[in-house]
Amino acid sequence: MRTLKTSEAAAVLNVSPNTLRAWERRFGYPKPQRSPGKHRLYTHGEVAALRDALHEGLSISSAVSRAREALSADTSVLVGALSSFELDRADIAMEAALALRSVERSVEEVLLPSMHDIGQRHGYDSAPWAFAAQWATDWLQRAQRLAPPPLRPAAVLIGDATHDELDVDALAMRALQLFSVRAGARMLVLPVGGVAGLAEVLAAFGPQAVVIAGDTAGDDQVARWAYGVRSAAGALPVTLFRRGSRTDSARTTARVLPDSPGDAHRVLLQMLDGRPRAMTSAAELSLANDERRRVGA
Amino acid sequence: MSARPNLIVLPGHADRPRPEVHFCGHCGRAPEIADIMPASRVCDRCGLGLLLTAPAEAAPSPADPFLLIDGTLSICAVSRLAEGLLHVTETEAVNRHVTDLLVPADAEASGPESLVNLVVHAARGEGETHDVVLRPADQFGIRFWARVGPCGPPRAALLVLADGRA
Repeated sequence: MRTLKTSEAAAVLNVSPNTLRAWERRFGYPKPQRSPGKHRLYTHGEVAALRDALHEGLSISSAVSRAREALSADTSVLVGALSSFELDRADIAMEAALALRSVERSVEEVLLPSMHDIGQRHGYDSAPWAFAAQWATDWLQRAQRLAPPPLRPAAVLIGDATHDELDVDALAMRALQLFSVRAGARMLVLPVGGVAGLAEVLAAFGPQAVVIAGDTAGDDQVARWAYGVRSAAGALPVTLFRRGSRTDSARTTARVLPDSPGDAHRVLLQMLDGRPRAMTSAAELSLANDERRRVGA
Repeated sequence: MSARPNLIVLPGHADRPRPEVHFCGHCGRAPEIADIMPASRVCDRCGLGLLLTAPAEAAPSPADPFLLIDGTLSICAVSRLAEGLLHVTETEAVNRHVTDLLVPADAEASGPESLVNLVVHAARGEGETHDVVLRPADQFGIRFWARVGPCGPPRAALLVLADGRA
C-alpha cells in the first residue's frame, strides 16, 4: 500500500496541508494513519479517489461521499464473491482493498463488515456463513504469517472463550491477534477449557497481560482458567474482549476492551507500553462501544 | 454590388451575453483573483467549498444562504449560512432530496412554476433565474423568498434563499 505524507497528499489534491487537516476535522476524510513518529500518513487510494471525485463534484461533502462510495465497492465485491462461493475472487477483493488501505483498515473496513453482512443475510448458523468464516479465518492466518517478527518485549496471552472457529467473536479475536502481532507483540491463543499443562506453556511464553476473548465460555470455566494462569504466571493485568453480556462492571475489576479489534489492540498496546490508559472502566468502554455502534448505524 | 438591403441574423434576447461570476459553494465569496478561475477548484479563502460559476443575476452574495441541487433533486452542497438557517450540516444534507429540507410555501403551486420543475430546468442549464417562495419542510409559518438559477460545473441548480441573509 502506497502512503503519502501530508505535503504530498496536499500536492495531489492541489490544496494546502492546512486545508487537508481542516477536511479531516470537518468531513473525517481522508482519514490518515500515523507513522511511528505520529505524522499523518494518507493512503494513496483514498487521496486519488477524492481527487477524481473533486473534479466532478459540486462540494467537498459530495466529493467525499463519492470517494467513500468508490472505496466501499470493495465490500460489495467481497460479499458477492463469498456469497457465490468463489474463494479466488474473495482473495482478489482483499488484494484490491489492500491496494488502498493498510492491513488493519482492510480487515476493519472490508473483511469484518462483509462477514457481518453475510451473517445477517444467511444467519450465523448457516452453511454460507461457515464457508465465509473459514475463508476469513484462513485469510487472517495467512496475513499473520506475513507479519514481521516481534519487535516489542510485550507478550499477550489470549484466553479463547469463543464457541469455535465459526463464532463471530472468533473472527474479531483473530483480527485482534493479527493487529497486535503486526504491531510487534508476541501473542498466544489458548482455549479457556484447557488448564492441564498451563504452567509449562506459560513458563516458556512469559505473558505480560491476559485477554479473555469471547462470550461463549461460562464465568466458572473462565475463572478456573484465570486462576490457573495466575498460579503459573503471577498476577497479570486481565482484560475482557467481546465478553458482551458477561461483562458486568460491578462484578469484575478486569478492564474491558472496545469491541472493535483495531481500538482494542490500541488500548492493549498502550497498556503494555505503560502509557496513560485510554479507557479506564467498563462503564466508559460501554459508553464508547455504544457511541461506536450509534455512529456505525 | 446590389443596393438591395440584406437580411441578417441578430442575436436575440436569449442569446445576449450574460455576465457570469465565480463564487465558493461554502462561503459564497469570490476567489481572491476574481476574473481568473484558479488551478484548484477549492476555495482559497475558506478551503471548505469548491468554486462554481453562475449568471450574475443568480449568484449569491457572501451574505446569502444557498443550496446546490443536481438534476436528480439531490442536495449537493449547503452553504455555511444555509447550514445555520436550516439547522442542518452539509454532511447530513448531502444526497438527501431537496424536498426533505424545503418545499413550496404555496402547496397548490404546480406546473412550470413548481419548485421541482424550476430546479430540474436550472440543473439542465436551461432557463432564466426564477423567484419562488419556499418554507422549511417540517415548519409552517416561515417563508423564504428564493431564486433558482443554473450554476456549475458540473451543471446544477442554485437555490439562493435571498431573504434569509444574515
